[in-house]
Amino acid sequence: MRTTHFAFPVLSLAAVAALVAGCTSSNDLAGESTAVDGGTLVYATGDAEPSCLDPHVGGNYPQALISTQYLEPLFGRSADGTIVPWLAQSAEASEDGLTWDITLTEGVSFSDGTAFNAEAVKVNIERLQDPDTASSTGYLAVEQVDEVVVIDDTHVRLLLSTPKSALPEVLSQQWTAMQSPTALARDVEANCQAPVGTGPFVVESWTPQEQVSLVRNDAYVSTNPAADHDGPAHLDRIEWRFIPDAATRQAALSSGEVNVIDNPLPSDIAAASAQGIGHIDAPRPASSNRIELNTAQTPFDDERVREAFARSADPDPGIDTLFAGVTTRSYSALSSVEPAAYSDEALFSVDIDRSNALLDEAGWTERDDDGTRMKDGQRLSVRFPVSTNQSTAAEQSLFEQIQSNTAGVGFDVQLTPMDLSSWYGALGEHAYEAVSAPYTTVGPDVLRILYHSDGTIPAPSGYFANHAMLRVDELDEALEAALATTDEDERTALYAEAQEIILGTYAIVPLYDQQNHFLTRGVTGVETLHTISTPTMINAQLTE
Amino acid sequence: MIAVLRWTTAKAASAVVVVWIVATLVFFAVRASGDPLEAILGGPGSQAGPETIAAATARYGLDQPLVTQYLLQLRDIATLQLGDSYARRQPVAELVIAQLPSTLLLAALALALAWALSISGALIQAVSRGVAGRAAAAVLRGCEIVASVMPQFWLGAVLIMVFAAGLGWLPATSTGTSPASLVLPVVTLAVPIAGFLSQVSRDALAEADQAPFAITARARGASETRVLLRHTLRHAALPALSLSGWAFGNLLSGAVVVEVLFARPGLGRLLQDAAVQRDVPVMIGAVAIVAIAYVIVVIITDALELVVDPRLRRQHVSKQRSPELGVGS
Repeated sequence: MRTTHFAFPVLSLAAVAALVAGCTSSNDLAGESTAVDGGTLVYATGDAEPSCLDPHVGGNYPQALISTQYLEPLFGRSADGTIVPWLAQSAEASEDGLTWDITLTEGVSFSDGTAFNAEAVKVNIERLQDPDTASSTGYLAVEQVDEVVVIDDTHVRLLLSTPKSALPEVLSQQWTAMQSPTALARDVEANCQAPVGTGPFVVESWTPQEQVSLVRNDAYVSTNPAADHDGPAHLDRIEWRFIPDAATRQAALSSGEVNVIDNPLPSDIAAASAQGIGHIDAPRPASSNRIELNTAQTPFDDERVREAFARSADPDPGIDTLFAGVTTRSYSALSSVEPAAYSDEALFSVDIDRSNALLDEAGWTERDDDGTRMKDGQRLSVRFPVSTNQSTAAEQSLFEQIQSNTAGVGFDVQLTPMDLSSWYGALGEHAYEAVSAPYTTVGPDVLRILYHSDGTIPAPSGYFANHAMLRVDELDEALEAALATTDEDERTALYAEAQEIILGTYAIVPLYDQQNHFLTRGVTGVETLHTISTPTMINAQLTE
Repeated sequence: MIAVLRWTTAKAASAVVVVWIVATLVFFAVRASGDPLEAILGGPGSQAGPETIAAATARYGLDQPLVTQYLLQLRDIATLQLGDSYARRQPVAELVIAQLPSTLLLAALALALAWALSISGALIQAVSRGVAGRAAAAVLRGCEIVASVMPQFWLGAVLIMVFAAGLGWLPATSTGTSPASLVLPVVTLAVPIAGFLSQVSRDALAEADQAPFAITARARGASETRVLLRHTLRHAALPALSLSGWAFGNLLSGAVVVEVLFARPGLGRLLQDAAVQRDVPVMIGAVAIVAIAYVIVVIITDALELVVDPRLRRQHVSKQRSPELGVGS
């Protein structure tokens, strides 16, 4: 009687033991379940809460994730990577690649009743280009568009300043999705709160830090051939919740509070099927996750040192264990979902003897007390700033393993976890020799963004995309030629050539695909788009 | 009356100084590492071209000298113009006021629970007699120590695993004022504070128990219960009360952890999001309002102490008259 009321700290401690034993087996395997129409699906995201629900403003992945439910782009992409019609039926480039004629799908309206037509496309593209919109990602997609000409209701012509074969690919991104011109006429803030598109759901309300409520668009006309769907969505509503902590998200999923979570922990993915939890693996397109080596300064300005690093890093065991078998090693600069991805495993095979020989040859022959190699009194140090916002715990552990593996041949890798702003700061000041930065877009043109020498010139904020500081003339030429040609075979060949050059420089160490997983419970039909791998609920149905 | 006025003025002045220092620290700490352009241009993951960046830099005055920006920021705070969020394009005051009730409710409930736990704990130990009683008291003291050093993120994670994922009794996430969803976050916040307050009130109670007035009361034939309720308990409450201002500050900072963990809306999460994005106006606005709330609570607890303990009032008045004689509280 005396202690029971107040002993809960002890109880909670004791409970730790109980839960370790208990919660692993607490999930009952669902029997035969039937899909029902209607109901509310609860989605919990671990990505940041968007600061604006309109992905034209800014333009990051969290915005793409949620806007997939209410905004649709001009083009889609099939599983094999080919561009397919969506709000646009076709796109045709002129011989010189400077004029694009786009034919639009007929009979489509925005959810506020505004008709989707050529004028709407013009309004959207011009808005992306308007500095007041502060579009960052969408702007990059349409920056080469000089003029948008309305031919008639269903035909629009884009006049470009330079050829851009990647145009349909970048117009398939959620960041360039079409919005109602009527809605866009409101001020930016009002549009941020509730953007209006042609999608299967409509934004009803947004309670910051809690959730966005979406309701079914009853007048929805399905135009995406990849969705295999007719008429409005099955669900009545979606509650889109923001749950930043991964363990809390998982607990909410297993207790039935939510139906879908993103950004699950690798261990939870591995345990999912035994718990009757569905798993969707949809790697993000464009670049793979990779370590980029700064070729502009010592020691990685020497290709021999870069190869020595790449051949001693040995990330494979780490990828196998830390990611619980849910992803595999990549040997490509591009994501495995990019059809143009080119791999060369031989370049990255572990070879400690060769690493040592290369470092000796490069003059790093002396050794410090702790075994770090030295040259002219300088240590073989590698500053590696790690963004704690972008690198998961598993990835950070992987970097630690690489740190210890490369120490074996004499590298001193200095991993420094940083918040995002300090991390951008370190990159801007070139205070790094190695770095890992994800980049999501659609298509192989990402290679130009990341490795063309133009990318070494910092923007006024100090940001530059070519962290490897690659400046290779023939690479620039291949990337420019690939952007200029609309011949599919020629384009693929040029991208293969470009990737061969990039991998051959040892400026990058590919690791694995950008992780993009979803876990589901009590719901069927959750699918991901083949563009930027965001989930769509068009076919989703709750199960009983 | 004049003494009260002077007391209030002094507290208000210190509040202004606190807010100024806090705003200055936040401004320079956030800005030291560069421009807050990411917040304006969509945060992590969005990739901005040079033209977009240049336009945003000019529009938000980020090309002005840092000192100019700082002075403008101070002017805004002084005139209670907290500005617009870089990321959300909404007035900061609106954002903060929307999140304030959620955090205050959490902190107030946690403080009440911590109080209830610590006073009950002290009482139980006071009435424990005999071998079994001493053993129980020893266990409780152990719990106090464990509780007071328990990290909140860990405790919260354990509670979620046990009561949400494991047993399914309570929701893992917390929204608004739903009682069930408040249980785990409130307990997470209250336990470490309760452990700390409990140690303090137990000591005070034990001390009062041996004080002459308690012995006198017993000598006059008062029962143990009467001594406890009428005489010693008030003494046990005093140190806990004076620590409540500190505890409240602690709860507000703990709210960051708890709100992120339980996905609960509130000031803490607003602040965390703003810090990641480098949304300077939101950080400064939110921190300034937290600082003001903290100062107000300290003033209230100081005033309450004066009510509960008549000795302080006398000391306080004598201190006002002749500072060199003041004992200090």
